[in-house]
Amino acid sequence: MTNPSRKREFSVTVPIFELRDVTYRYGKIDALSNLDLTILAGQRIALLGANGSGKSTLLSILDGLYFPQEGSVMYCGEPLTEDRLQTQEIEFDFRRKVALVFQNPDIQLFNPTVFDEIAFGPLQVGWPKDQILMRVSAILERMEIVHLKDRAPHHLSTGEKKRVALASVLILDPDVLLLDEPTAALDPRSESQMIDFLVNCGDGKKTVITATHDLDLLEDIADYCHVFQGGQIVAAGTSDEILRNHELLLRTNLVHAHRHRHASGEMHIHPHRHAHEH
Amino acid sequence: MSAKSRGPVERSLSTFVDALRHTFDAEELAKKNGLLQKLDPRIKIAAILPLILIAALARQLRAIVAIFVFAVLVGLLSRVPLITLARRVWLATLSFTGLISIPALFLTPGRAIYLLPFFSWTITAQGLHAATYLIMRAETAATLSVLLILCTSWNNLLKALRVLRFPIILVVILGMTYRYIFLLLRTAHDMFESRRSRMVGQLPGHELRKVATASAGVLMSKTLQIGEEVYLAMRSRGFRGEVYVLVEFRTSWLDWLILGCFATVAGFGFWFGR
Amino acid sequence: MHIPDGYLSPSTCALLYGAAAPFWCTAFARVKRILNTRLVPLLAVASAFCFVIMMFNLPLPGGTTGHAVGVGAATVVLGPWASMLALSIALLIQALLFGDGGITTLGANCFNMAIVGSLVAYVVYRLVAGGTSVGSSRRTLAAALAGYAAINSSAFVTACELGIQPMLFKDTGGAPLYAPYPLHIAIPAMMIGHLTFAGLAELIVSAGIVAYFQRTNPALLNHNASRIPANGEIETARQVPARSGWGGAGPLWIRLALLMMLTPLGILVAGTAWGEWSTRDFSNPEMRQKIAATSSNVAPPAQSPRGLERWSAVWSAPFPQYAPAFVHHPAFGYVISAMFGSGLIMGFFSCLNLIVNGRVIKRKSP
Repeated sequence: MTNPSRKREFSVTVPIFELRDVTYRYGKIDALSNLDLTILAGQRIALLGANGSGKSTLLSILDGLYFPQEGSVMYCGEPLTEDRLQTQEIEFDFRRKVALVFQNPDIQLFNPTVFDEIAFGPLQVGWPKDQILMRVSAILERMEIVHLKDRAPHHLSTGEKKRVALASVLILDPDVLLLDEPTAALDPRSESQMIDFLVNCGDGKKTVITATHDLDLLEDIADYCHVFQGGQIVAAGTSDEILRNHELLLRTNLVHAHRHRHASGEMHIHPHRHAHEH
Repeated sequence: MSAKSRGPVERSLSTFVDALRHTFDAEELAKKNGLLQKLDPRIKIAAILPLILIAALARQLRAIVAIFVFAVLVGLLSRVPLITLARRVWLATLSFTGLISIPALFLTPGRAIYLLPFFSWTITAQGLHAATYLIMRAETAATLSVLLILCTSWNNLLKALRVLRFPIILVVILGMTYRYIFLLLRTAHDMFESRRSRMVGQLPGHELRKVATASAGVLMSKTLQIGEEVYLAMRSRGFRGEVYVLVEFRTSWLDWLILGCFATVAGFGFWFGR
Repeated sequence: MHIPDGYLSPSTCALLYGAAAPFWCTAFARVKRILNTRLVPLLAVASAFCFVIMMFNLPLPGGTTGHAVGVGAATVVLGPWASMLALSIALLIQALLFGDGGITTLGANCFNMAIVGSLVAYVVYRLVAGGTSVGSSRRTLAAALAGYAAINSSAFVTACELGIQPMLFKDTGGAPLYAPYPLHIAIPAMMIGHLTFAGLAELIVSAGIVAYFQRTNPALLNHNASRIPANGEIETARQVPARSGWGGAGPLWIRLALLMMLTPLGILVAGTAWGEWSTRDFSNPEMRQKIAATSSNVAPPAQSPRGLERWSAVWSAPFPQYAPAFVHHPAFGYVISAMFGSGLIMGFFSCLNLIVNGRVIKRKSP
């Protein structure tokens, strides 16, 4: 499943997101503490971490759904605050440009049919009816889900749901794609299909930020990684660097070490992943 | 699952499964190529609802029966198997309303027409009429509404309700409710299923009650959590409180022709049912 | 308790749709004010929950099982207005999609179960729970009683609606056209089943859910607590609604509505009210006998008193005998008169309020 990692030239080095000293608290628990992060336009970033390490919270903050109790979040040089998003024009512009695909597709798919789901975003931001119909057909074809157009979400498999979820955000042609565990709960074939879509959906221009604990995904969809643990970034580097740092991966609960037998017959304990290599 | 040990957990499970299957069947029938399926959903509503009303209004039994026969005919033309109608509507209504009507045969004051031998209870003519009215009305109305549901996808039906001046926000809420009923049914089903698989024999009554109420509590918790998360998902896609519905209905000559037929039947039903 | 089509006359159905409508509108306005943009998703999932709860097969003491409507639990956790809406939506879906309950009788079913049920549950819960802390066992008791009272009130109102049908709607031969059982059969028949099984089921679900939340997430029970507004870690942002204006008169509305629905019971009473005789009655021999019978057999004067004659001509009521001219059935006359009269009184006081306080309340749009 390894592909040669794509090296990309960043022609634009404008920070699209800048987080300074961000802390987000759920009651008494700090989901994120004193976080500093800069993301440049066009980058493909992975937020790596085990469940509960704070990466989902960060995505929600980047999508303007949660607002940190401390610190500042800047989007394209402007502060991303609840007050600013009260203005309709600003919010519509932001929502069109920044899109989040939720981890649980049952949350994202809240409309009665696939067609309605995909048309939801454009309807909200005020596209004319004809344009919506045209663009919905186009995206259905692109994601290969035309046959699902009138299907209800509870009659879709998990893989189909995730594709519909992706389609429902791609229709607005966002500049930034935030993906929360895009391959979680998928069977191997659906997973590889999804990875194919994800690799292509950026079109080479979008900023794609993926939160995941699936290391197999890394080389395909990200050039740079931030590793999370306990609400803080404990390491950062290119995908290659991170994947080779076994000690880090073990420490942050991204791989496991257990007793296993090698072909030679010896018993070992060392960090490893269960993935075959060719 | 033996027929004997059908405790509340099993019965709740089978209710959930039935509900899921019920709507699945409905969605299958809605895709068939029958008469009602071809019509614009708004026309269907405009055609069928008045007929239900007329059946409820009629004071003459023959009018009600005529409408019933018409409904069955329409059902056949819409490729709804009679056995489906019988299973879903007629038997259920007969067992409920039929049972309820039986005492009315004896209790309604009026002209006696038959004396029940062993109990010496008299059946009155008025009682017979009353029971017949009730049963026929219930059957006719139920048949008509089931035809409406079976031959239209729920989503289209909701959108068509706009023709009755249903507020858009209600249409949107109903669509979302329908969607999440399935999620909650599945969740409840899984909870009960996992419970059942861990049960050996029957739990005592108070334990079962604890299971039921704990499940209800968990379900409510999940419900509120889902509600909050869906809200965020909606905000994420630009929702600011305004609701929209994209409707693509188009009427054809067939729609108006069938509407005319229904209106004629309704007219006759009204006239002869006075 | 879901009334199918055909059991209620179209006029009864229309009346109950009309009775339900103002409650729906008020509930919607209030819930929208509190929830604002959260209205759509929260109400949708709450309705879905109510629908699913109605399917639970609950084990009851004695080995039987029953179904609960969930009105007690919904009212306690969501508040009476949201509960009204969520239950109405669940009932609509049940009727349309599953054929449980009729379409013409949907207004009646919503009125009986969602509206009357929620209001009764709310009043009982507040009365019994009082200002006790959220975690106290008295709250669980209050929830249980609220659910029990609510379902029995719903059953009673349903029984009344069904019971007046044979009295009012008969064909030319005298056969009842709709529900065939008069009040003296309908009421006991419905109440027996609900005072026992259905009431128990409701009691269990209400108490169970409240007890569950007391253990796991007491904050969710806060908005119905005493005057302290809810704060802290509540996942759903709800404020305690301001208790002012018409809102504060909640319990009174319920009593008013219930009284209005019960006015037709006056028909059951034989005879006329003592003292409420018209001038005509004094010359009618039959009426004279009735007057004497209720007056310790003292015969009335041969002619109607002069004062009565003079003053009775001053004003002729628009609805004499509580029967507006266009309504042919006495029971309807009663109810319509009750609604009309109450409406007039409330309208009068609303105008008075506006004049005295001179404010116009603007609704906040999303």
